[in-house]
Amino acid sequence: MFSFPIETAATVYDTLLRIYVLSHICVLNRGLNLSILRFAMKIQNVIGSLKDLFTYRSNISNADFGERRYKSLQRTFIFRMAPLILVPLFILIFASYYLLQNLFHEESRQQLAWDIENATNSIEYFVDVKISALRFLASGHRYEHLSDPQLLAKVFAGFKREFGVVVDLGLIDKHGIQQSYAGPYNLQGKDYANQEWFHKAVTRGIYVSDVFLGYRRLPHFAIAVKNDEPDKETFWILRATIDMETLNRLLSSIKLGKDDDAFIINHSGTLQTPSQHHGNVLEQYPIPTLVRQRGTTIVDIDEKDRPPYVFGYAFIKDSSWILCVVEKSGAGSRIAAVFRTEYFALLAVTVCLILIASFRMIHVMVNWIKESDQKREEALREVEHATKLASIGRLAAGVSHEINNPLAIINEKAGLIRDILTLSENNLDRDKFLTNVNGILDSVKRARTITHQLLGFARRMDVTPEVINLNDVVKEVLGFLEKETLFRDVNIKQHLTENLPRIKSNRSRLQQVFLNITNNAIDALDTGGSIEIITDLKDADTVRAIIKDNGHGIDAATLKHIFDPFFTTKHKKKGTGLGLFISYGIIKKLGGQILVESEINKGTTFSIELPINHSAATTS
Amino acid sequence: MKSKNIKVLLVDDEEAFVNTLANRLKMRDLKVETVYDGEQALSAVEDKEPDVMILDLKMPGLHGMEVLRKIRKAYPNIQVIVLTGHGTEKDEEEAKRLGGFDFLKKPTDIETLLGKIKVAYKEKLEKTLSAIAFAEAGEFDTAREIMDEENGN
Repeated sequence: MFSFPIETAATVYDTLLRIYVLSHICVLNRGLNLSILRFAMKIQNVIGSLKDLFTYRSNISNADFGERRYKSLQRTFIFRMAPLILVPLFILIFASYYLLQNLFHEESRQQLAWDIENATNSIEYFVDVKISALRFLASGHRYEHLSDPQLLAKVFAGFKREFGVVVDLGLIDKHGIQQSYAGPYNLQGKDYANQEWFHKAVTRGIYVSDVFLGYRRLPHFAIAVKNDEPDKETFWILRATIDMETLNRLLSSIKLGKDDDAFIINHSGTLQTPSQHHGNVLEQYPIPTLVRQRGTTIVDIDEKDRPPYVFGYAFIKDSSWILCVVEKSGAGSRIAAVFRTEYFALLAVTVCLILIASFRMIHVMVNWIKESDQKREEALREVEHATKLASIGRLAAGVSHEINNPLAIINEKAGLIRDILTLSENNLDRDKFLTNVNGILDSVKRARTITHQLLGFARRMDVTPEVINLNDVVKEVLGFLEKETLFRDVNIKQHLTENLPRIKSNRSRLQQVFLNITNNAIDALDTGGSIEIITDLKDADTVRAIIKDNGHGIDAATLKHIFDPFFTTKHKKKGTGLGLFISYGIIKKLGGQILVESEINKGTTFSIELPINHSAATTS
Repeated sequence: MKSKNIKVLLVDDEEAFVNTLANRLKMRDLKVETVYDGEQALSAVEDKEPDVMILDLKMPGLHGMEVLRKIRKAYPNIQVIVLTGHGTEKDEEEAKRLGGFDFLKKPTDIETLLGKIKVAYKEKLEKTLSAIAFAEAGEFDTAREIMDEENGN
């Protein structure tokens, strides 16, 4: 049933190959054709092996019966089943692994985006607060007031108490000169007129600078707020500087692995905070092309000769800063690494379980096949045997008929000679003649016993079924043999199971069989021996009679031929060699079986098993 | 019982057998006639008027079973003993059904055969005597019934 789609595929493939060959003749593009040819050959191989997998080929030679055949059958099953089970399993596993990894990756990107957004928000908030505070300060104080360094120091102290992290506070007049300064450095009177931040602050009103070293030679950034005084047509600038470290601290909310990096750069790629792997503050970062857009952007970067990494960035408003995160050992891959071990352990266990289960299954299946083969063979043997028995019966009857006539002539001629001799005068030779004639007549009698028994064989195979009790049959037979056993001083023990189910069989035929076997048992005994007769229920459908003697036993070579016709170990005049042969035929005919076990000098046991309900008895 | 008066007809195609047996029976004081096939048997019955017929089954021409059937129909007071080498149980049943007195298988003891002949003759005699008695008493139907008793019809 599996071979159909494969056959179809093969046909389709053949057609394709034909088309290809035609195209090869028409088109002269050899390179393309060669690659198509290679691809086609690959497909051919795959289809070929698939065809092999789904095709039954008898690999049993006639001599290859028995154990070896089933071993090879089992191997074949395993080799064919294993790829069928494992290939889809591996496909499933790797596909799901790939999908899960993608899921983890996606999850970690989300997490990264979330972290970046949080950090961006906190930086923006931080800067906003400072700007608001400075504007509030500027609007709440007069220039004259703030230009007094002592007062400015007081204001700075308050400012620092409320908003922290501010390094210093300076007041710059419209010419760019720092009029007063509060902070750890001596920067009073410094001229900022030529500095970029001053110009930007003048034009924009509010300015957040990049990180720079400035006069103090320490990385910091400045927040400048311009305060106009329209009535005096002048302005001044209040400037607070904040240490770069503060900015750096704000990045710590991003969860990072040991190979990861979070830092801020400005629009021209200068590092605003130190980076773990890309240099220190104010060094240049090899900036990738960044697209300015709202919110956070995450990109997967896979460059040549470097492991792939995730790059996330967000533009921070009101400044020229870009928050960047380089995640090399992303959270996703970290989770996947833990997961991978467990996943592949699970995979290994599953594969093992499936293999063990299917091997067991195959083993069981092969055993089933073996058993059914054996049963069939046995049934065949039975049929063969029955046929053989029937044909022997027919042949025997035919031969007996033909022999009986000449035998009758011999009988009469010899009888006549005896009659004449008996009536004639007594002379010297009369007794000699009489002895010889009697010898002839005895031989005729023996021959007659055989022919009549053989004739009876066919007749005995005709059984009319009747419902009988096995115990009754045994008792009747023992009744016949009473005198014989008394005379031979044979002890007969009966162990007859009460309430045996009645069987559909034939009384007189069974009597004949039991008589025969019991007679044989008596013959096998020396005076004083014993015979045990047991009847029991073998199983729900079978009753059994066991006849066991403790006589001289039968050797293995004899045992083999015990049921053969004309095989006898008895004295010529006593046995014809047909008794067990006929008994065997009768029991077979009655649907039962007759078994024999023997041990030299220990005795012989015959078991006769009969079906309780034998339907075949009625058929012939 | 004296066997001198018993008339026996032997029917068998095996001449060597039938002649020898005839000799032996004659030596035992029986009146014996022999024929070698079924047709001869049917014609011999007419003039020989045997008491007992010893009949083989497998013969050329008319089969023994057919001879038996005809004899029993036409001469119900002739006792027929089948003596055959081809005796199967079915043949035996058939022969008994057709009114054969007994069924013996070759080869058989002369004594056995003789015994059967005597019993058959005795039975025939008794039957005839009682039939005569009934006939003398005027009960012809009963007499006929006795004579036809073993007739197949």
